[in-house]
Amino acid sequence: MPSVLLTESLTLELGGTGINDHFSAHEPWPQDVKLYQPYEVEQILLPDNANCLAVQAFLKMCGLDFEVVPRNNAEYMSPSGRVPFIRCGAFVIAELDPIISFVNNKGISLSEKLDNTQKADMRAYMSLVNTVLANAELYVTWCDKTTLQEVTKPRFGSVLPWPLNHIITWQKRGQVVKKLGVLGWGPKTLDEVYQEVENCCNALSERLENQPYFFGNRPTELDALVFGHLFTILTTPLPNNRFASIVRGYPNLIELCKLVEKEYFERRSDP
Amino acid sequence: MNRPMELNIWGGDWGLPSVDLHCLEVMAFAKFSGAPLQTYVTNNPFWTPKGKLPVFKHGKQVLSSFPEISAYLKKKNFNADFGLTPKQCAEVVAYTQLLKGQLYLALQYVWWVDTKNYIELIRPWYAKALPFPCNYYYPGSYEREAKKHLEALYDQDDDPQAIETFVYREAERCINTLSVRLGDEDFFFGSHPTSLDATVYAYLAPLLKAPFPSPALQNHLKSTSNLVKFVVRITQRYFPYSIQEYEAKKSAAGGARGKTTDSESDFPNRRGCQILAGLFATAAMTSYALYTGLLQVSIKDEMDENIEDHEDLIHAAEDTEE
Repeated sequence: MPSVLLTESLTLELGGTGINDHFSAHEPWPQDVKLYQPYEVEQILLPDNANCLAVQAFLKMCGLDFEVVPRNNAEYMSPSGRVPFIRCGAFVIAELDPIISFVNNKGISLSEKLDNTQKADMRAYMSLVNTVLANAELYVTWCDKTTLQEVTKPRFGSVLPWPLNHIITWQKRGQVVKKLGVLGWGPKTLDEVYQEVENCCNALSERLENQPYFFGNRPTELDALVFGHLFTILTTPLPNNRFASIVRGYPNLIELCKLVEKEYFERRSDP
Repeated sequence: MNRPMELNIWGGDWGLPSVDLHCLEVMAFAKFSGAPLQTYVTNNPFWTPKGKLPVFKHGKQVLSSFPEISAYLKKKNFNADFGLTPKQCAEVVAYTQLLKGQLYLALQYVWWVDTKNYIELIRPWYAKALPFPCNYYYPGSYEREAKKHLEALYDQDDDPQAIETFVYREAERCINTLSVRLGDEDFFFGSHPTSLDATVYAYLAPLLKAPFPSPALQNHLKSTSNLVKFVVRITQRYFPYSIQEYEAKKSAAGGARGKTTDSESDFPNRRGCQILAGLFATAAMTSYALYTGLLQVSIKDEMDENIEDHEDLIHAAEDTEE
């Protein structure tokens, strides 16, 4: 769950020991950084996968090396209870926003060339993605009955033994429904959710226009986040593929996904 | 349809036309788009369709959320976003989500969860504004709603102080972002206000104007001078009446302060409390009297006695006959 609202529970713990620490700020990026996430093929769900991919894209755009370590209990290992998280030297940091500020503290930033207004825009669009796309993913995954029965329950329960797979899935669903409820997504119908997605994609597409990335020729954190979400939506098979078909209606967003995939994912895996 | 458009709202105070975020948003949008909207201060969400104010009425149309109302007004050609390019419209969407995602929870926190603000300012205000039986229900229910919101988003194992720090830090970053985006302009997109200005105004104005006893976030907002000017500018240009009213009220209250301090301002709805206390005392005393037998309500016994009396009479009559 990447919503900016939810993220910071971790920076708190790190606030005193890690991020503001004089030492760590100037230490170079260590060699053995590990990114923990659930198993991609059997286990991971749409919202988690989007977040994991966004973090991977961000680290690759920064040119930082890391190793992806799949763990079936990654969610419970994470200090914030949400995936993905990275282990970097003595620090464990979960979720995109804290990871971005951690990396920034090492003097690496994708958005340093932007002026202040552009940074403000970037924050606004990131929160647009974090609120609309992330909540829509959660809604489709946990509140749509067909998807819940056919995809979410088998995948989420796949790593748990018999009685637990039902109990924990049910518990998790309760949490997500409660969260969506307070954010005002509870009473929405599936059609209204798709309408929100449509509006969000429309706004992103208008912002992107014909540029390769959102802010010119260099990728920023926003590109990593948008790539993570849209690529996952496009490639995850669901019983109802309307989600993906909405995104397909915006060719420039598809181009962005293809470009990021080509530049940062294929090139690394080839050699 | 030539029927007037009506809007039922929460009342204003502190120099604002309404203290409620959602009411302000609609009112500002209507002003910016030039829609002739009649506002009525009802201060009572009980009879509304969704249990919430504002309620917008135009003929048979009854709407109660900002997206619905603004869409309806746009359909009627009252559109504040008329001159915006598609890219600017996208920006409106993005910044609205930024406010919703990062500032809304903090506002809920300042209003309902921060104990000092809630007990000293917010609860008395709402209790005074609401009519008698509702004033015992709504403030508490809003408080529970806000706490539920917070619980669902943050792990409750964390220290509450730490959660507060996070919520406020998010909000401060959001305010900074807005301040940078606004820059030295009058409004977010040049010289004309748009729906984004209405939304930003609705979020910021109550936070800026309410006299909070614990003003951490308010102080942060006050330190960003362009946003303060932005709020003042919109209030002066579009709601001058509410400022004048507030000033008049304040000077009147200043003159009569000596008299009113203990009689009315200390506790809202004195009359309501007195009635409730009286009813409770009566009920308690009656039940005590019944329980200990001081007071007997026994219809059956009286009947028996009557019959006995009657029998006595009959016997007496028989005696005399003999």
